[in-house]
Amino acid sequence: MTNQTIMLGGGLRQDCDAISVMKAGTLRFSKPNKYWVESSQKRYTPCVEDTVLGIVVDSKADNFLIDIKGPVLAFLPVLAFEGGTRRNIPKFEVGTLLYLRVVKANFGMNPELSCTDASGKAAEFGPLKDGYMFETSTGLSRKLLSSPTCPVLEALGKKLSFEIAVGLNGRVWVNAATPDTIVVVANAIMNSESLSGAQQIIMVEHLLKNIQ
Amino acid sequence: MEGRLANAWRLTANDKSFIRTALLSEIRIDGRKPYEYRKIVVKFGREDGSSEVQLGQTRVMGIVTAQLVQPYRDRPKEGILSIFTEVSPMADPSFEPGHPGELAVELGRIIDRGLRESKAVDTESLCVLAGKFVWAIRIDLHILDNGGNLVDAANIAALAALLTFRRPECSLGGEDGQEVIVHPPEIREPLPLIVHHLPIAITFGFFSNDSILVIDPTHNEEAVMGGRMTTTVNANGDICAIQKAGGEGVPQRVIMQCLQLATAKAAGITKQIKEALYDILWYHLLRETTLETGELKCTTQKEL
Repeated sequence: MTNQTIMLGGGLRQDCDAISVMKAGTLRFSKPNKYWVESSQKRYTPCVEDTVLGIVVDSKADNFLIDIKGPVLAFLPVLAFEGGTRRNIPKFEVGTLLYLRVVKANFGMNPELSCTDASGKAAEFGPLKDGYMFETSTGLSRKLLSSPTCPVLEALGKKLSFEIAVGLNGRVWVNAATPDTIVVVANAIMNSESLSGAQQIIMVEHLLKNIQ
Repeated sequence: MEGRLANAWRLTANDKSFIRTALLSEIRIDGRKPYEYRKIVVKFGREDGSSEVQLGQTRVMGIVTAQLVQPYRDRPKEGILSIFTEVSPMADPSFEPGHPGELAVELGRIIDRGLRESKAVDTESLCVLAGKFVWAIRIDLHILDNGGNLVDAANIAALAALLTFRRPECSLGGEDGQEVIVHPPEIREPLPLIVHHLPIAITFGFFSNDSILVIDPTHNEEAVMGGRMTTTVNANGDICAIQKAGGEGVPQRVIMQCLQLATAKAAGITKQIKEALYDILWYHLLRETTLETGELKCTTQKEL
């Protein structure tokens, strides 16, 4: 038996010599030594460096209060934008949808977000205009962001042109030229959670036939 | 306070304008046409008088129970019908536990009016001893999941529960004929309620741009729509009740259009409820035949 140091991720715990599972889900392994349990929920636990979709709830002097489907509201500092100074603070109305990055996420504290990447550039973060946002589970969001591309997105991309933003907190935003494209993409993604790759492709073909 | 803020369901500004824009091209976000209903599934529980209805994502459970009580003074020969609605935060984070909000009360009132005013349930047959004992039918509606349009789903649940409910048979006895004897279900088969017709509630949502009309709004559409109207009609075309509480004004021709649409939909939904009942009636038929051929040899004369 080789002596190996393994790293335990979320969902696993060490009790003296035994490792026990704390959450229901799939056990995943990543070389060289990381193990964790991946599960899908409807609520989100904020994690640093996650990209999420948030809705503005309120704006205070120093922060915007953002709802990211976590246990508490998150703070977005008013200066956390590219070239942000006290003079050009953006004005977001209640209900604006933003694409954000989680900077700090500690247990018991409100998470902190930012509209820039680690080097301070805007890089696609910020408000999303038009389109339609719907909620999914966290597992489906991860599948949509995985590489190689998820079968449902590939099948849709072959026939339709659209733009999506996926938040790891279980929110997806879709935009396209016509409303019926948006509706087809949204419904295809929502239906694809429990289907296998081949079933997803069949489901997408079925939906596309109905709108033609 | 902040905890509740974090849990609240919110609609983005993008969604609000998208729902309106899509409706201009007659597209709804779940792919339905404006006058299309979501899929209705009617299920029954093991006990008589319990039903669960799913209308898309909305789920409501209906339970019917009966009790012998004294009738109202001004109606000594009629039974009593009452409806209670329970909403729990499990259905929607905006519902508060315990205290029923405006929505729950309005829901109960619409269904109550639809059943009572149209005399759908025959209350005179519920009289056992005039002035002394009548059956009080109690319908409990539990909202399990709010996916929009609770009124319609709750109405179907109430009707399905009423149609499968069986009340015990009772007869008068005793020395002066003033004693009521309630027969247990093993001795005498319980009786169904007399339901003359099925009043179906159909809810419409109005959107301010170009007076767009949708049937069976979902949760998102309800948050965006300008006004709503619930019409309760039956398959014969009789209007049992109409409810339009506030919201934006609509011209008269739109109301007439709604009533015509509602009558067409009511026929379809009535057929669906009756088909769902078919399986349950088979179960009752089997139960009756076993009762007749079973051990009923010793008919206790003192009870009958």
